[in-house]
Amino acid sequence: MRLKFPPQTISNMKSLTFYHLSIVLFLLGAFCAQAVVAGEVDPFQKFVQPVLQKRCVKCHGEGDELEGDVNLLAIKNFADVSKDPDLLSSIIDALEQGDMPPEDEPELKPKARKQVVTHLKHMLHEVLQARSTFSQSPIRRMNRFQYNNAVQDLFQLKPVVFSLPERMLREYKNYFQPQTGKMPANLNAGSRPLGKSQMIEPRLAGVGPFPQDLRAENGFDNRGDHLSLSPLLMESFMKLSTSIVQSRDFTPKNCGIWKTFFAPPLVNDDLENVVRQRLEPFLTHAFRRPVEEKLLNRYASHVIALVEAGEPFEASMKEAASAAIASPRFLYLYDKSSVSDKAEAIDDYELASRLSFFLWGSIPDQTLLDLAAAGTLHELEVLDQQVERMLKDRRLKRFCDSFPSQWLQLERIISSVPDMEKHPKFYFFKYRVSMHMMLEPLLLFETILIEDRSILELIDSDYSYRSDLLKAWYKDGSLAKTTPTSIPFKRVQLTDRRQGGVITNAAVLTMNSGPERSKPITRGAWIASVIFNDPPEPPPADVPPLPEGKEEVDPNMTIRERLAAHRKRADCAGCHEQIDPLGFALENYGPTGLWRDQYENGRDVDSAGVLFRKHEFNNIIEFKDAILIEKDRFARGFASHLLSFALARELNAADSPALDQIVSETKSDNYTLQAIIKQIVASEPFLHKYNPEEGTTKNVK
Amino acid sequence: MSSEAWKRISRRNFLYGTGGAALSLPWLEGIAAQAATVSTPAQRMAFFYVPIGVIRRGFFPNEANAELRKFVDTKEPINGAKMPVGFHELELTPTLKPLENIQHKVSLLTGLDRTFQHGTDVHAQCASCFMSSAAPYTIKSSAWPLDRTLDHIVADQVGHATPFRSIELSCNSHKDNKESLHFDNISWYGTGHVAPSMRDPRKVYRRLFGTQELKSYRNITDLVLADAKSLSRELGSTDRHKFAEYFDSIRTLEEQMDKFEKMKGELEEVDLEEPTAALLPRGEYIRLMADLMVTALQTGLTHVATMMIAPERWDTPYMFESLFDKPRSHHQMSHKPQTFVDDLLKVDHFHMQQYAYMLEKMDNIKEANDTTLLDNTLFTYGSGLGDGSTHQYSDLPIIVAGSGGGKLKTGHHYHFADGTPLSNLWLTQAQLMGVNRKRFSDSTQALGELLA
Repeated sequence: MRLKFPPQTISNMKSLTFYHLSIVLFLLGAFCAQAVVAGEVDPFQKFVQPVLQKRCVKCHGEGDELEGDVNLLAIKNFADVSKDPDLLSSIIDALEQGDMPPEDEPELKPKARKQVVTHLKHMLHEVLQARSTFSQSPIRRMNRFQYNNAVQDLFQLKPVVFSLPERMLREYKNYFQPQTGKMPANLNAGSRPLGKSQMIEPRLAGVGPFPQDLRAENGFDNRGDHLSLSPLLMESFMKLSTSIVQSRDFTPKNCGIWKTFFAPPLVNDDLENVVRQRLEPFLTHAFRRPVEEKLLNRYASHVIALVEAGEPFEASMKEAASAAIASPRFLYLYDKSSVSDKAEAIDDYELASRLSFFLWGSIPDQTLLDLAAAGTLHELEVLDQQVERMLKDRRLKRFCDSFPSQWLQLERIISSVPDMEKHPKFYFFKYRVSMHMMLEPLLLFETILIEDRSILELIDSDYSYRSDLLKAWYKDGSLAKTTPTSIPFKRVQLTDRRQGGVITNAAVLTMNSGPERSKPITRGAWIASVIFNDPPEPPPADVPPLPEGKEEVDPNMTIRERLAAHRKRADCAGCHEQIDPLGFALENYGPTGLWRDQYENGRDVDSAGVLFRKHEFNNIIEFKDAILIEKDRFARGFASHLLSFALARELNAADSPALDQIVSETKSDNYTLQAIIKQIVASEPFLHKYNPEEGTTKNVK
Repeated sequence: MSSEAWKRISRRNFLYGTGGAALSLPWLEGIAAQAATVSTPAQRMAFFYVPIGVIRRGFFPNEANAELRKFVDTKEPINGAKMPVGFHELELTPTLKPLENIQHKVSLLTGLDRTFQHGTDVHAQCASCFMSSAAPYTIKSSAWPLDRTLDHIVADQVGHATPFRSIELSCNSHKDNKESLHFDNISWYGTGHVAPSMRDPRKVYRRLFGTQELKSYRNITDLVLADAKSLSRELGSTDRHKFAEYFDSIRTLEEQMDKFEKMKGELEEVDLEEPTAALLPRGEYIRLMADLMVTALQTGLTHVATMMIAPERWDTPYMFESLFDKPRSHHQMSHKPQTFVDDLLKVDHFHMQQYAYMLEKMDNIKEANDTTLLDNTLFTYGSGLGDGSTHQYSDLPIIVAGSGGGKLKTGHHYHFADGTPLSNLWLTQAQLMGVNRKRFSDSTQALGELLA
């Protein structure tokens, strides 16, 4: 049961403070495990089983219906628990967060709850240490966004390769200057998917994009298990690889590496030398690791054969460049296989790529590759400096163009269509107010990132960026004059705590409403998924939809009363107890995000509820306060979204110690965003890989 | 292979040697043999897209005295002149006049509607979603009701035997990138996945009949395959398994190239010269693109083709050499029908002349069983707007030429009841091309009344 770390892991550990803690925990784990092996005490049987027997198995094992598909009777001892760390982790969550036992069952006293959670956590830790594996994002092609950025960076291209409507917030006049540590008070922005002519920008003529990659459910568009290749896509990549270098816009003026790569050499220069000297750094950059002699020979011979056959030098180098960007070594993100059947430290080149794809959505730059070549990138100080540098680089905009909009699921605002008769002002000329709304939370996110502010401002901020149109809209739902393309936004002080943050942003409220009415369940599910990263299970298939027809609906009822009838089913109550209060808290906001005290039928809005069965609230301000009391839980939810984005995969129980670590390490900084990013980079899952060479799938769920 | 050995390979060997030989697959012979035994002509499908609607009084029978409607942007359904549902004699209005010689092989279809999905530009959606298989408001996360278009759904069925599953053309001579992809493409593989149209006749020629593109693929395929093989050895077992997708994809592409190479002999017979780089007068440019498309359908390079006669909107004026002295913007004129009605009628007539040119050309190409290429093609003329001034999505101008191998009645005018979705026609055509489906987008039923 001893862990073997390759030498590099040990040096990683030495260089990162929190690893000291890991080692202590590891030793503790080893100690406990030995106790178990000796057969003296089974901690599960002694400390946990009695509580489960008394409080849980009635629904989770004994009855005909197995609630939540969890059978606790099947777990008889520590060995059983060890088989399923994900189940163990969810038992811990349910008990620690107070979700179980449910409201209508006798309460589990806080002291007993705490004790059993502590024991379960010890066990989880022990199980994970013994396994010492992480799940691993599979090899995957770049998504469209990454491909565009990587090609641009590789050739140092001025124009974009193709238009990217997935970039929702379009920057004007370079307001995004992270090196200043400050967002300007006045800036111009545009909404890409909805605005007029937002797709127009300098791009390579004659180059057609491949399809946009869609966001994984409760995840991101960089997810390894979602990014595959088809023959059709292959043709796109082949076409792209040639059409990019042959575009009429691919010129010495637009391409930064022209002189050092494509331009014909002096007549006296030895052709083979020149070709090899130029290809080596180019291919290293494209493939993100040192190129082997054989590979360099292949590309060099190709170019030389072309030139000797009479092809111009420039065209020959273009063909090599085409091959390079059609090569899987460029197109695919992957780690080399690991040697043992345990998690291993990634090498410095893999680290360089993880960093650059995380923060820049692209391939590493020369500095990162140089440090990888020197073998020093993983050293704490170096790594810290590099993250610091990357956070101050304008390429950070790509992080802002991908993570926040996907985290907030903002693409849903694009297809939100509030009823035109009830909300005529939502539509003006060819546009919708939502094209302004969607920029507000994204600008807030960029501010928090650039100014290194606390992520708690995502819940409650006393400032925001507003256009004239948005100011008027929030005030009373009226319209103000606006420009269709480059929209001026101003940083405004907010005195009304009903506004600010992302939850009470009009885009979020609108996209979580139907055309006719607000949808508290949808809003609640959004808060559970986005804010706490605890997405509810999908409803069972046999639940009838809420009646909406004119004959079936009592016009004098409120939505809360109508849903109450719906919730009477016992198998619905469990989930709805958790998500409904989150959604009802926002009932004072109508289907287009505007404040309301009464419904259309004259009844008063009731937004009161209890958060996590602990914190009572009567209105949205008290609700925000309640979330701020539970800030650790929000921070953990946020960190888990970010870690999942950074790793391009779904998280599981093996990642939970790292998440605990990230939260506890950033708490003293009041959860500033840059601190969280740095802790993500320093986390074990980020620095490790697990992809054994042979098909040993033991320990892998 | 050592670098010395590589050097000795001549370019020609390099291009045609290793790549093809290493990857050509035995079952290709099977396909070729199958093709040789087919005696009934293959069925083809083609589209002729007209942007910015038409002047209704020039196009629609019974609307000769209709008022010219002012510019509106409501997208509300506006119905044309009332007329009984059912068959009518085909009356050649001024705009339809160019079809005179071929009128027995066309059908005018009126009364077909679409639904606008609020949230995008009216022109962009009318073109890009014209043949979309998505009903409005069904595609989450996109403002466009846009999914795999009819041409590709049909190509899934009939495209396997041809080197190109489909070809996409746009007679767009604009040099600026003023508009987005949605204005220049009616053909889409899927949501957000454009099948990019080709605008340059020289590039079209080279892709269809030359070997330029093929050569560059073949060249780099060798290099990237070598990279793939070495990369595969560095991967863990799970990754190695997934990475097979790369080899599979390249192989499919190679097969396409092989089919193309097999046809090279036949293609050398094609009597079509490579276009010059010179900027052609608009009519000549369009007819050149038309010749390329007709030849591709004739030779079996593809069985499915789409052509935009011009891009949607695109305000930059351009020359209509035979019509006006100065560059004009079709779109800008369309917003002022009162001022420009005569000129707009000329544009509509001009577009119809090009359609008629293609139809007559196709009808002069004889195929087996006493049929012509036109008989064996479903060739649809249509615009995404019923009127460029009102921006209506209703009562669209639609003509279907050819009979799909004798399966359609031709030579008449059929008027549909208000609210009949255009997708009913697409469903009918998909079924005629052998696609087994019962719904297409928001279709309600196939148009059985059109069948022979």
